[in-house]
Amino acid sequence: MSDHISGPRAIADPVIDITDIYAFPCPENPQDLVLIMNVFPYAGPSALFSDATIYRFRVRPVAIAPAGRTFAVADEEFVFDFTFSGLQPEQEGRCKLPNGDLIEFRVNDESGGRAKGVQVFVGQRSDPFFLDGPMAERTIATRKLAFKDVGSDRLYGKNVLGIVLRIEWATVLKGGPMFAVVGETLAAGKRPVRLERVGRPEIKNITLSAKIFDTVNRDLEIRDIYNEEDAFNLFKHYVGAYRARLNANLAFFDGLDDKVDWPLDQHGNHPLTELLLADFLVLDASKPFCETSYFEIEQAMLEGRAHSTCGGRWLNQDLVDFLLTLYINAGKGPPIRDGVDAPRAWSSKVFPYMAPPNAPEGAAA
Amino acid sequence: MIAERPFTHGAIAVLNLNAQIDALEPQVRLGRATVEVRVGLVELISLRGLIVGRIADYERAEEVAEELLRDAPGHAGALLARARTRAGFHRFHEALSDLDRAERLSSSAPPALDAETANSERAAILQALGRYDEALALREEAVHRRASFENLAALVGLHAERGETDAAERRYAESRSHYRGVSPFPLALLDFQMGRMWMDENRLHDARRSFDAAWRRVPAYAQAQGHLGEVEAQLGDTNSAIASLHPLAASSDDPDYAAQLARILGEVGRDAESRHWRSLAAERYDELLAKHPEAFADHAAEFWLAAGADPDKALKWAQTNVEVRNTPRARGLLAQAVAAQASFVGSRS
Repeated sequence: MSDHISGPRAIADPVIDITDIYAFPCPENPQDLVLIMNVFPYAGPSALFSDATIYRFRVRPVAIAPAGRTFAVADEEFVFDFTFSGLQPEQEGRCKLPNGDLIEFRVNDESGGRAKGVQVFVGQRSDPFFLDGPMAERTIATRKLAFKDVGSDRLYGKNVLGIVLRIEWATVLKGGPMFAVVGETLAAGKRPVRLERVGRPEIKNITLSAKIFDTVNRDLEIRDIYNEEDAFNLFKHYVGAYRARLNANLAFFDGLDDKVDWPLDQHGNHPLTELLLADFLVLDASKPFCETSYFEIEQAMLEGRAHSTCGGRWLNQDLVDFLLTLYINAGKGPPIRDGVDAPRAWSSKVFPYMAPPNAPEGAAA
Repeated sequence: MIAERPFTHGAIAVLNLNAQIDALEPQVRLGRATVEVRVGLVELISLRGLIVGRIADYERAEEVAEELLRDAPGHAGALLARARTRAGFHRFHEALSDLDRAERLSSSAPPALDAETANSERAAILQALGRYDEALALREEAVHRRASFENLAALVGLHAERGETDAAERRYAESRSHYRGVSPFPLALLDFQMGRMWMDENRLHDARRSFDAAWRRVPAYAQAQGHLGEVEAQLGDTNSAIASLHPLAASSDDPDYAAQLARILGEVGRDAESRHWRSLAAERYDELLAKHPEAFADHAAEFWLAAGADPDKALKWAQTNVEVRNTPRARGLLAQAVAAQASFVGSRS
């Protein structure tokens, strides 16, 4: 499940569990970028943000490195911190902008909050992610593709707590037009402690969590350690463990169709490993909004061509079908489907994009 | 002194716990939940029962676990979930039996049971049974393998129950330093264990400090508030004690608070009020003992020894309690009940 329930710490406290990060050029205005962070999988009606947590977007200018197969991430960083207080009758929040300005807002208030070049909405929304999670697990357990024509989506009709940030990128950010985006939750305090970080979807769960193929760290629950990392500066002592796990699991997926579409290099590295270790969304704000552009910039890099889309990640893309096809046949074979092709409610192209929360299950009856 | 950093407000944490349960319950009731979701629901409802002191939650958790076992009898995780609910009702031998079966199943068929989780569950049951050395061996091995907050905190509880105050304090500091989350529940539960230890050691000011810390972290933490009331009464602060216990006695389905309130009111001569709460507690204990005799034998014996003033019943339930778990605390309660009954018989003859 994208990044839902992505490790023991997230399971223990869903209020810090980032389920997804999205980043896309604004469909309504190409001068704006939209960043979205969803937290709290399976949020029931009374779910609230923690008043002891910082919900943070980190944005850095990025370029394709001269070697052409990695990203050159700038040191300059733009941070948007969301914090919350109170609980009755509604939560209040504030967003601290990179220039230090504050935007105040009320949670679940459709009008959100505004400042020059910035608009925010924060509240409960329909979870836009969809997949057949049990069959993904069965595929790993049985080492055979287990998906059915019509799958079963555990997230169908579920809600999350969403943070939507729309920014006029040319005035609020510097550099660009390519940016790297990461979402984090941090324990607040004098020295905030990172609890979760998310860039790309399905890294920790589908791609990293299985231990059985990893011959280096077969008994290591790697996700909590991975979550604590700075996405732009991985701790050098742990990179080997992440690389070994990615190489092993990506090779497993590649072998599911009994063909090798991603030959490993002489060191046993999978061609996608280094790209996925750069675990942030990359988008090009100079390109127009596109609905199915996730990973296109990275694929163009691998193929040695110029990218043609904005990259990033839009809310409605069938991400799991895309990833399965990428991992299993590199897009050279038939599309691999998980049998779940839509969420309960599609997101719209109008602010705040994500669909309103679903009524509690069984409520209509 | 351990530096404090912010944690989620206890009221938000409880609302979020409710939010998780409210989102999962319909799935389970409509038969759409996977085994893992149902196991998760058992854990969440049990946690809420522990925090807000609601026996109905423990009963619902047991119901979900039993239904789960009927639907997935060969699932190790389902057996582990039921083991937890059975242990919650002090049916320790049944819980151990479930745990043994879960481990056997796990070794022969997926999904594999996490060894650390299974050992932790076993250690908790052994501790509850008073088999401290076996529990300690498992707990120390867990810390040796992974000095996590959870493993260290479990050792705090064990040392605390054995009255090993230095070791408990040392492990308390260690576990606190390993805690990275923002949820207030784990720390509130830890402070509560320390409070119980200080109470047993008759260090009442320390006990009050620990219970107060637990209650401040989570104002809905019923056991912390209730024990705070008990300690306040022992320290002579009767008004605070009554203020702590009254809302719990009025709202909780656990008769322990009414029992404590009746005792304290009786001690300060507010006899009519005391009789009211005594009557409510007695009625509720009778109901609960009919359904869950093992789980409520100890508190019922304490009640009949104190405000309940029925040494025969106290002795009966203290004996049941020792049969359920032969711990020093249970033996102490039985000794008190025997003495009270002898005194009662003496006064009648």
